[in-house]
Amino acid sequence: MELVRNVTALLIFPGGLFLLLAGLMYQWADRKLIAQLQNRLGPRWFQPIADAIKLLANEEIVPDGVNRLLFVGLPVAALAGALTAALYVPLFGFQPAFSFTGDLIVTLYLLSLLTLCTGLAGANTRDRFSLIGAVRALTQLFAYEAPFMLALLGPAIVAGSWQISEIITTTHGSWIVLTQPIGFLVALIGLMGKLEMPPFDSPEAETEIVAGALTEYSGRGLALFKLGRAVELVIGLTLITAFYLGGVGQGALEPAFFTLKSILVLGLLALMQSLMTRLRIDQTVGLWWRFGAILVLMQWLVLIVVKMVS
Amino acid sequence: MPTITKAAQAEKFVVPIGPQHPALKEPGHFEFTVDGEVVTAASVRLGYAHRGIEKGAESRNWTQNQYLLERVCGICSHIHATAYCLGVEQLAEVEAPPRAQAIRVLLAELERVHSHLLWLGVAAHEAGFDTLFMYTWRDRETVMDLLEQISGNRVNYSVNTLGGVKFDITDPIAVDILEGLAFLEERTHHYLEVIENDLMFARRTRGIGIMPRAQAERLGVLGPTARASGVARDVRVDAPYAAYPDYPVNIILDNACDLEARFIVRVKELFEAYRISREILATLPEGDLVAKRMPRRIKPAETIMRVEAPRGELLYFIKSNGSESPERLHVRTPTICNMASVLTLTVGHNLADVPMILVGIDPCFSCNDRGVIVRSEQAAGDLWTWERLRQHGIDYYRR
Repeated sequence: MELVRNVTALLIFPGGLFLLLAGLMYQWADRKLIAQLQNRLGPRWFQPIADAIKLLANEEIVPDGVNRLLFVGLPVAALAGALTAALYVPLFGFQPAFSFTGDLIVTLYLLSLLTLCTGLAGANTRDRFSLIGAVRALTQLFAYEAPFMLALLGPAIVAGSWQISEIITTTHGSWIVLTQPIGFLVALIGLMGKLEMPPFDSPEAETEIVAGALTEYSGRGLALFKLGRAVELVIGLTLITAFYLGGVGQGALEPAFFTLKSILVLGLLALMQSLMTRLRIDQTVGLWWRFGAILVLMQWLVLIVVKMVS
Repeated sequence: MPTITKAAQAEKFVVPIGPQHPALKEPGHFEFTVDGEVVTAASVRLGYAHRGIEKGAESRNWTQNQYLLERVCGICSHIHATAYCLGVEQLAEVEAPPRAQAIRVLLAELERVHSHLLWLGVAAHEAGFDTLFMYTWRDRETVMDLLEQISGNRVNYSVNTLGGVKFDITDPIAVDILEGLAFLEERTHHYLEVIENDLMFARRTRGIGIMPRAQAERLGVLGPTARASGVARDVRVDAPYAAYPDYPVNIILDNACDLEARFIVRVKELFEAYRISREILATLPEGDLVAKRMPRRIKPAETIMRVEAPRGELLYFIKSNGSESPERLHVRTPTICNMASVLTLTVGHNLADVPMILVGIDPCFSCNDRGVIVRSEQAAGDLWTWERLRQHGIDYYRR
């Protein structure tokens, strides 16, 4: 019975197939919202799914001068990292499939795997656009990672635990976004940086470096990276919604309510994406370390002081 | 060890942009040597879209050439035909009637509106601000529809004819134009506000690509690019042609000299274009659209015609030899004059600023492309005869 449950959790729900489809649907919602904000029609609902299937079926061209093993293995590792992270988060308002003390930290590291793999994939090829894209992707990783992590640790301090399932149960009913608005904002913007959404899309700025680190990727490798990013969008939104917007309860309606909240957060992301001009990589780094990190640290200070007093 | 230092110096990291690249809408090849993210050297190779129009013009008659030259540029087709027609009229000593001249200027200003709005969208896209791109192109449809209403075409309006214009501005069309201009003016106020006040956008334009006035004069830049550096250079003011003597233009200058100034100058020129268009519609002279007589053959003479295209001064040299077609025709578009400024300004900037600086001159590649450089296997600098060049072309395409 235990085995059946584990396999189901890994392959069908919440990980695996269901998550991939959900990721693609979230991506569609994101694209559609941005299109509407930009006065365009936007894609039809099955477009991301069709793109993924088409890319998976396409021939994968392995360029000269790359390490073949890395070239083929990195996309798999990236997607695997994102899918593994899904097992520890309360997807769609269901309790996490697995849980242990400190799984928050593990989840955050698994989420970084995608960016790391993208960077390595770019550095692996000899393409000049890929190399610059890889440098930018990794530079950006160092910029947003610390503030993003600190922002997600804010609710953990309130709950007094670094275990996701415990945090979301403790904070159920209390909307931490009201007490930690800075943390919420930094986490949200950090997620945009993580997913290389505009205005943090300089690692793949098409008008400068074509497709950045993934310029040489085609077919299956590209599809896996894209799927990995779609999955990460869902996980990121889930984490932010669960931590900042009232945790996760038990009731039968909770999944629907939770999904609605996460889609609202997605709408916020779409709004921010369509409002802003792309930042240069030096501006991105400056923004994170000069404002993001310091603001979050200030909030931490307040949190710790409040906690010590009470 | 000295050998390693030498090798490290020799090993340059060159980023090729083009001939096919998402930042370029037309083919051109740039090579930027970068140190990390900073550009240390830049070079350009043009000529990928050379179409032999100047040579082609020599074998067509005066009327046919107008249709050929309208296709030099897809964005400013009207101004090319205007320059050509004004030049040929000068050679034939024919003068177009005042109503025709006014309609030419009206169309030129509407074309400037469409060109500048197009540019604003492209520039916003290069900066990664796609929302502004989509909005400007949506609003640009207004002026495109007006141009279609006047002439039946959106791109090659072909309003000019030797000795006048083909289409009249009737009262219902004039009402529609005024309505369209009112809408566009309101939108343009909004865009000016975005360019001046949007902090994220200003981070990508303010203080980027500074070209001081002296440098702008030395590099010989033209059009809005020059005017954004405080150089008062505008053919419509310096040497008014067509109906511009009757409808004087206020020159738009900006002394900030950076990329933001180039945005502001172009957007402010839109207001000027609206004003001139309205003035022409209010005081359109009565009379014929075409001169009474236009000769088929033109006696030997030569002339230079200068007009102000949306991108800057456009120069036509036309030489007649008494036959039905020109002896020689030469076109110099503003982009070729502005290109040097891109190479100078990008050095020292981030790679991310390169597409912005390039788009700051509003480049138009295929109209500036001229003589193909044939890279000979033999000694450098040998002169090819026409026969040999022709044979080379035949052999090249036979493969």
